[in-house]
Amino acid sequence: MFKKNYINNILKLSSILLILLQLSCVQNKRRENIIVASAGKIESLDPAQANTLRTIQILSALGDTLYKINKEGNLYPILANGLPKMSKDGLLIDIPLRENVTFHDGSIFNAKAMKFSLDRFMNIGTLNYLLNDKIEAIQVKDEFLLRIKLKKPSSSLKSLLTSVNLTPISPNSYSKYKDKFNNKTFIGTGPYFLENFSSNQQIIKPYKNYWGQKPLNKGIDFINYSNSSTLFGAIKAKEVDVLISNSIDDLQRLALNNMVKNEKLNSGQGEPLEIGFITLKSNKFPLENKTIREALSYTLDRELISQQVSFGIRKPLRSIVPPQLHNKELSPWPKYNPNFARFLLKKEGYCETDILTIPLTFRSNIPADKLLALTWKDQIKRDLSDCIKITLNGIESTTVYKQLSEGAFEAVILDWTGAYPDPEAYLNPLLSCNEIKNNTCIKGEAVFSGSFWGNNEMQKLLEKSEELEGEIRLKNLLKVEQLASTGSAYLPVWLVNPKAWSLKDISQPEFSRDGLIILKNLKRD
Amino acid sequence: MLWIISSLVFILLRIAPGDPVDAILGTRANEFARESLRIKLGLDKPLINQYLEYINHLLHGNLGISLNTQEPVKVIISRALPASMELAIFAILIASLVGYLIGFLGAVKQEGKIDFFGRLFGISTYALPPFWAAMLIQMVFAVLLGWLPIGGRLPPGLSSPPPLTGFLLLDSLLNKNIEVFFSSFKHLILPSLTLGILLSGIFSRSLRLNLEEILKKDYIEAAKSRGISDIRVLFKHALPNTLLPILTIAGLTVSSLIGGALLIEITFSWPGIALGLQEAINQRDYEVVQGIVVVISSLVVIISIIIDIVIAFIDPRVSY
Repeated sequence: MFKKNYINNILKLSSILLILLQLSCVQNKRRENIIVASAGKIESLDPAQANTLRTIQILSALGDTLYKINKEGNLYPILANGLPKMSKDGLLIDIPLRENVTFHDGSIFNAKAMKFSLDRFMNIGTLNYLLNDKIEAIQVKDEFLLRIKLKKPSSSLKSLLTSVNLTPISPNSYSKYKDKFNNKTFIGTGPYFLENFSSNQQIIKPYKNYWGQKPLNKGIDFINYSNSSTLFGAIKAKEVDVLISNSIDDLQRLALNNMVKNEKLNSGQGEPLEIGFITLKSNKFPLENKTIREALSYTLDRELISQQVSFGIRKPLRSIVPPQLHNKELSPWPKYNPNFARFLLKKEGYCETDILTIPLTFRSNIPADKLLALTWKDQIKRDLSDCIKITLNGIESTTVYKQLSEGAFEAVILDWTGAYPDPEAYLNPLLSCNEIKNNTCIKGEAVFSGSFWGNNEMQKLLEKSEELEGEIRLKNLLKVEQLASTGSAYLPVWLVNPKAWSLKDISQPEFSRDGLIILKNLKRD
Repeated sequence: MLWIISSLVFILLRIAPGDPVDAILGTRANEFARESLRIKLGLDKPLINQYLEYINHLLHGNLGISLNTQEPVKVIISRALPASMELAIFAILIASLVGYLIGFLGAVKQEGKIDFFGRLFGISTYALPPFWAAMLIQMVFAVLLGWLPIGGRLPPGLSSPPPLTGFLLLDSLLNKNIEVFFSSFKHLILPSLTLGILLSGIFSRSLRLNLEEILKKDYIEAAKSRGISDIRVLFKHALPNTLLPILTIAGLTVSSLIGGALLIEITFSWPGIALGLQEAINQRDYEVVQGIVVVISSLVVIISIIIDIVIAFIDPRVSY
């Protein structure tokens, strides 16, 4: 009797195990499409509204831009048929367009379609101020020749033409969406067309009439998970083929990198485009004092912070522009030197009797920010406890952004990724100012960035760079950065590379200059 | 009550720092672009006008349009609510099954091994932080053993059938799509199991305590002294009298689950209403937040009324 029960139990247990094994087998069956996972939902596929990395990543596969920037930092044509030709006064730009290109709905791409897309972006685009400040009008000169009339000379406009937000869309399919967003569909000219869209999952398939190099895969499924642990678990469990690094915690990045070292995963890395920095409010006591700001710039042990926060994954940075965009290594901000910081602070009457207290705000929903704040606080306690005391304050990021221009924070940890790969996309948003009074910015980008620091000479150089081209322009922007380092209103901390990991049967992810994965090059062995 | 809640949400959202215009445009947009969007979204109107418009729309069943996606809030909620309800229903089923069984056995054989482990189980599951339990279960069953999917409602590449009810299991059956049915069922197991186990502690404790108390009542002693068998006493006289408090607890749990399984939804990337609410708060999407809070509040009120009616029906002492 006992034996019979025992056998019955064994059989029941085996059946359960068999069912579970069966379930897991179904899950691991060979997939046709490549599954790419990242964090964050996509609510809209309209290029006029796209502002998240994930949306821009998909749009880069569904559409083409007029130009792209190559590894040497030069513009090269994609949907254009040559480089833009500028008039002598710098106010007209002629762009010849590629012929024999069709949209996914079969209609022809021409100057009219490009004008439609640019006009629509300038009309309803959420980032339309980027163009509206520069462009007077868009004109169709010929079926395949577009003319852009500028309000004033602007050399940065060319880099702006590489922006995914300006991807052309089919006027036929978007005729009803001239002045409103089309969130759920996308009709462009790219190597893929959109097969299925939901906010949690998007499926794209190769477009058979694509004019350029065809994709090496049979399609891509994009999925999103809401947290880093699930994303990490998904690639470990082989539920996804490729994992994009945005929103992956540093500890899990380290674990993924170790898996790459142990040959369990492939990985690819793009050039760094995200910078992390601390903004110091320069218009109020005590940080209105330039010497104190300068002293603080000597207190950051970036090597230690990089190791403690990210195991060395985030590279220490002493500039506010990713170095590759200047085409040379440049570190105008000073190295860690606590003794010199003490000397400067003593000069201002601190250290002996008075201790300088700096309230440091970090975005509480960003783990790396919190770790940076804690590490800097402890490092100051170790090196300069007789001179400086850091107090911490965690605030949710949306609130931080809102209160930045109101001057709510003495010192705040932030990050920035340029809208296009050009030094100007970093320098202007942090430094430019329309109205400066005694080195304080009253109106302009420096107010929005929370530093309130302005410098007339620097502003002139920034404006002049819009009229310059090539190496001379880059040299001019270098001078801007050097001037910014003397103001010490920003303390650059680190640089973050975009990274992706793939399973061993998927090719190594490749990145374009703008930090996006080249999806059409992903291949299953 | 609903008017008070909806008014409070409206006011609190406007008081809280952060702005939908910032969330949509970023903080870098120039003043003209910001003002244009503000006008487009109707945020330039005086607060009282915005409020009156909101209440007027609400009275007409119009929950507004998402500031971020320009999609009707009704559509957003009708997509997310069934996902949360599906999860809640399965979690309650698991919690009832596990919790009541453990609680019942503990009450019947007090101070025995089952009772001891049952009480330990009740306290542990009640004390466990939901996100920790969820991550642990996820790591073991999805990552290490690979038996079940790690998150989401469907595997990549598989599209949902046309939504008839919004409940994926039901829709896949109605559309005769067995693949989607099994896939969605597999995706439902881990989140509902986690939530169910976490809730089962409350269920087992409530049943055990109530049943223990009732078993000490005079009428139970009287029934036993009349020679009625223990099983009959238990099922006929004791158990029905524990129903009232248990029904109340179950009702409140269901209500809280519909809007409150946030940590489970985040951990398992479950596209439910709590996750939607969190995202809408981050984006300061006033209309979506207001819509979701009103719908959840309405559901809590409806469920409470149903529970009250059921109690009145079961308990002859209660009358309205």
